[in-house]
Amino acid sequence: MAEDGTIYYTNGLPVPDTPAPGEEPEFWKETDVVGKRTPRVDAYERVSGTAVYPSDIKLPNMIYGAILRCPHAHAKVKKVDAGRAEKMPGVRALITGDSPEAGGLKWKYRGYSGPLFDAHCRFEGEVVAAVAADTPYQAWDAVHAIDVEYDVLPHVVDHNLALTGKAPEVHDQGNLAGTDEYERGDVAGGFAEADVVLEQNYETGCQLHTPMELHGCVADWEGDRLTIWESSQGVYAVQSVLSGILGMPLSKVRVIGHYMGGGFGSKLWPGKYTVLAALMAKQAARPVKMILTREETFLCVGNRPPNTMRLKAGVKKDGTLTAFDFECIGPSGAYPGGGTEIVDWLVRDLYQCDNVRCLSRDVYIHAGTARPFRAPGHPQGSWALEQMMDDLAEKIGMDPIELRLKNIPSISQGRGIPYTRTGLKDCIERGAERFGWKDAVKRAREQNRSGSHIKRGVGMGACLWIVGGGGPPSTVVIKLFRDGSVNLNMGASDIGTGTKTIMAMVAAEELGVKPDVIQIEHADTGTTQYATPSGGSKTVPTEAPTVRNAAIDVKRQIIQMAAEDLGAPAVDLDYEGSEIVSMKDKSKRIQVTDVSGLKKRGVVIGVGYRGPNPKNKSVNPFAAQFCELEVNTKTGEMKILRFLGAHDSGRVMNRLTYDNQVFGGIVMGIGFGMTEFRQLDANQTGKLCNRNWHDYKLPTALDVPVDMESLPIEIDDPEANNTGAKGLGEPVTIPTASAIANALYMATGIRFTKAPVHPMEMRRRLSAGKEG
Amino acid sequence: MLPQFSYVRPETLKDTVKHLNVPGAAAHAGGTDLIGCLRDGIMQVNKVVSLNALPDLHGIRETADGGLLIGAMTTITEVSESPLVRRKYPGLAQGASEVAGPQLRNQGTIGGNLCQKPRCWYYRGEFNCLRKGGDNCYALDGEHLFHAIFGHDRICVITHPSDTAPPLVALGAKVRIIGPEGKRTIPVANLHVSPADNVRAETVRKQGEVITHIELPRPPENLRSSYRKVRARRSWDFALAGVALALEMDGDRVNKSRVVLSGAAPVPWRSQPVENAISNRRLNAETIEKAARAVVEGADPLPGNMYKLDLFKGLIEEELYTVSRELR
Repeated sequence: MAEDGTIYYTNGLPVPDTPAPGEEPEFWKETDVVGKRTPRVDAYERVSGTAVYPSDIKLPNMIYGAILRCPHAHAKVKKVDAGRAEKMPGVRALITGDSPEAGGLKWKYRGYSGPLFDAHCRFEGEVVAAVAADTPYQAWDAVHAIDVEYDVLPHVVDHNLALTGKAPEVHDQGNLAGTDEYERGDVAGGFAEADVVLEQNYETGCQLHTPMELHGCVADWEGDRLTIWESSQGVYAVQSVLSGILGMPLSKVRVIGHYMGGGFGSKLWPGKYTVLAALMAKQAARPVKMILTREETFLCVGNRPPNTMRLKAGVKKDGTLTAFDFECIGPSGAYPGGGTEIVDWLVRDLYQCDNVRCLSRDVYIHAGTARPFRAPGHPQGSWALEQMMDDLAEKIGMDPIELRLKNIPSISQGRGIPYTRTGLKDCIERGAERFGWKDAVKRAREQNRSGSHIKRGVGMGACLWIVGGGGPPSTVVIKLFRDGSVNLNMGASDIGTGTKTIMAMVAAEELGVKPDVIQIEHADTGTTQYATPSGGSKTVPTEAPTVRNAAIDVKRQIIQMAAEDLGAPAVDLDYEGSEIVSMKDKSKRIQVTDVSGLKKRGVVIGVGYRGPNPKNKSVNPFAAQFCELEVNTKTGEMKILRFLGAHDSGRVMNRLTYDNQVFGGIVMGIGFGMTEFRQLDANQTGKLCNRNWHDYKLPTALDVPVDMESLPIEIDDPEANNTGAKGLGEPVTIPTASAIANALYMATGIRFTKAPVHPMEMRRRLSAGKEG
Repeated sequence: MLPQFSYVRPETLKDTVKHLNVPGAAAHAGGTDLIGCLRDGIMQVNKVVSLNALPDLHGIRETADGGLLIGAMTTITEVSESPLVRRKYPGLAQGASEVAGPQLRNQGTIGGNLCQKPRCWYYRGEFNCLRKGGDNCYALDGEHLFHAIFGHDRICVITHPSDTAPPLVALGAKVRIIGPEGKRTIPVANLHVSPADNVRAETVRKQGEVITHIELPRPPENLRSSYRKVRARRSWDFALAGVALALEMDGDRVNKSRVVLSGAAPVPWRSQPVENAISNRRLNAETIEKAARAVVEGADPLPGNMYKLDLFKGLIEEELYTVSRELR
């Protein structure tokens, strides 16, 4: 315990007023801690290797699990013979569809429930059996010794063939997983009044989830209590799924996920592997560690589904958009996973247009099931919409930026309610100015007239993200100890985005303490409070106001206690960080650590809840990104020279991690637009061809520009929540690829409607000409 | 997961050859390729023979006749950064610097680079393809975006993955091999095996044979060598198309030339049509245009890799224009 109380406090910095009980806190006008460039509170642990990730967990007597997966895109398991494997050295647990432990257990997808071990394997990578043994090597040797007889069946893995009637049916009811229709206004009328109508087909590749830390867990039983260490975006989501499948009370399932190495949507839920680890840990009466191999994760932890889209758009000569007609097809995979989900949202909502029709058809194929992938649907829809906007602008002889600025909506048209604030105009305008749009266009055109085979282009794309305002529920507990140090307790996971650091900054701002005084306990269903998974760009706008409310609860209690010590009414007292001071009589003051109630109890506990979002208003982040690049028209090689991301995500909470989010999103967008695609052996086996980091090509450091700039467009949004923060993690990757495509068009005169545009595709199109 | 194997680290070449001269033995140099092959189970190996304890296989030295002798265990980084290599054979230094990424170049060796297994995703995947002992080449009728347009005879359409072999062939390098029957020295140009000759082998090495050194002849006067590689991403990737040039110049005339392509064929592919188009000619626009047309003579592209035709044309054009600009 520190003797010198001052070392904990940000002395000299003002502390926000403490609202009276029952009153809502005021929106921060200015902040002193929040918004600054603040290194992560756990940076040293992460960099030095002392941070313990689920992959690092090692328990006494722990054994290792491995899974036998179906090697066929479509097959029925006729017989599983594990006799040889069971007798192999080190094997302590083995489970197949015939095991009593698996009997009756159901695995759920969205609106679909099937047996945990389904003899009808509808994708390569479906679970057939699992083993746990003393070493990982023994476990894998045993897996390879399990003999399985398959009845290999015809497959369909191309979503464009799924509904043709010629494809085998993935499910008895057919290959249509779902249809979504939307219409507003008079679309035919809209096209009739247009001066220009364009129609174009677009295609995007399938992006596979491949976060740095592999998917997996450690499962351990103590009597009838199960503890799971899972690499997860949300420990409460894992708890809920496990308790549901195993029929256990929530209180008996403890899930811990302090550190995790990336999720991007693929770790919003546990996998079958988690259940198998728990079952085998029970069988063996030992903890089981089950970390998937990289190859397995390529097959079964989800993807951004490929989409085939058609967009027809009408515009008047003055730039008024008259109609959009959008169609989209995409695969959920083998089970419902959102094959076309919110792909159409940008068409519905981004630009002012009275007449819109959208039709999405989600289909089943014999491949891994889709999962949310950083801004589900949006980069795909953006690929179509933003290229179409540029084409419309060209046809009516308008600058693409002008056309977008002409069509800034004042309300969320997709919902029919206003935005709390929209930064779309500012993102486009100020981004273009900062980027030097006009000069860059001029420079590119000059170079392209020079006769050099190295062509240059600049392009941009704008976006919003469908959600990003966060919302209830969330509960946070803040403990103020008698020495003035603080413990912040929240259930939310920090998935590498810097959540913990931002929450420490929020608590520091409100309590007048230094952020490093705050110890964070998080992501543990046994000891921390309920939170929804970190996803949807909602963690900061959900948790930050909750942390603020918890800190205010602490302050109110301390003020109440100080009132007794000082003999002054609580309403007269101001919480100034290290001291409580009477506003009427400044000589009446007491150190927080001297407050007798705190000294006696040893700790004061504040509880914060996330309040409701504004009624009938939509909270959304907005953005515009700008790109300059070069194309070698002899070889098809491309080089991105620079990128700028202008993002309105409300208040910037930590400028350091804010900028890193922007850069990371652009990098991922470059992967989506230029390097990454799932290659299935569609015409022969349906199996995945690229299942390692060489064949599945993530962009390397040399594929992304050194010159990346983040330009925050900070607009006060007091209606959004009491911190004014909106989500950032997803919008940062939405318009990246479309900005690239628009720049490629300027460089080559070719519309690249098929993503990704890698050198092979570039060279193909340069040869095939504009129509190819 | 790696399969079970025994591991030996002999200290003499004699012991090395003895250990390697049994079925299922594999030489371990840098291991960057071997370990992946073992993990993927693409070959049956029960004994790994480390070359690490062998003396004399390491380093680069100048020979009496002004050439170079490179030990097979010399790392790719050492080759790419060697002042000797850079001065005498810039094409080899460039080839080495284009291999994979920095970590792999630090670990991988020049001998290993020449003996790499192909990177075809069917060969590396769970497909019992022709090269692994199966009945057919999956890439031929399947997904062959990255595959060969020359020399495959529609048998097996891999491309040879090495970035150092093309410049070595262009520079007239030889490899010293030691084996159960003694030593032999062969041109790098004869090291690799086309599918028509043997679809199950990548090099002519027999059981028990190991490469010990690479010999480079004294560079001729006015030699101009280079290597240029085009790939899908800018690091850690194999060639979509590459070209090694070794030109003996006389002013703006090309006296003699050797042109070897990567990313083109199951073996480093010497392009005689390009050599014929430029040898004994002035390197002007007309010559370059002819050479660019010549590079795809005899190509047999597949439906999914037709883009490689214009890619090779563009590459030859760009490279030869670079040479001609240097002459000015």
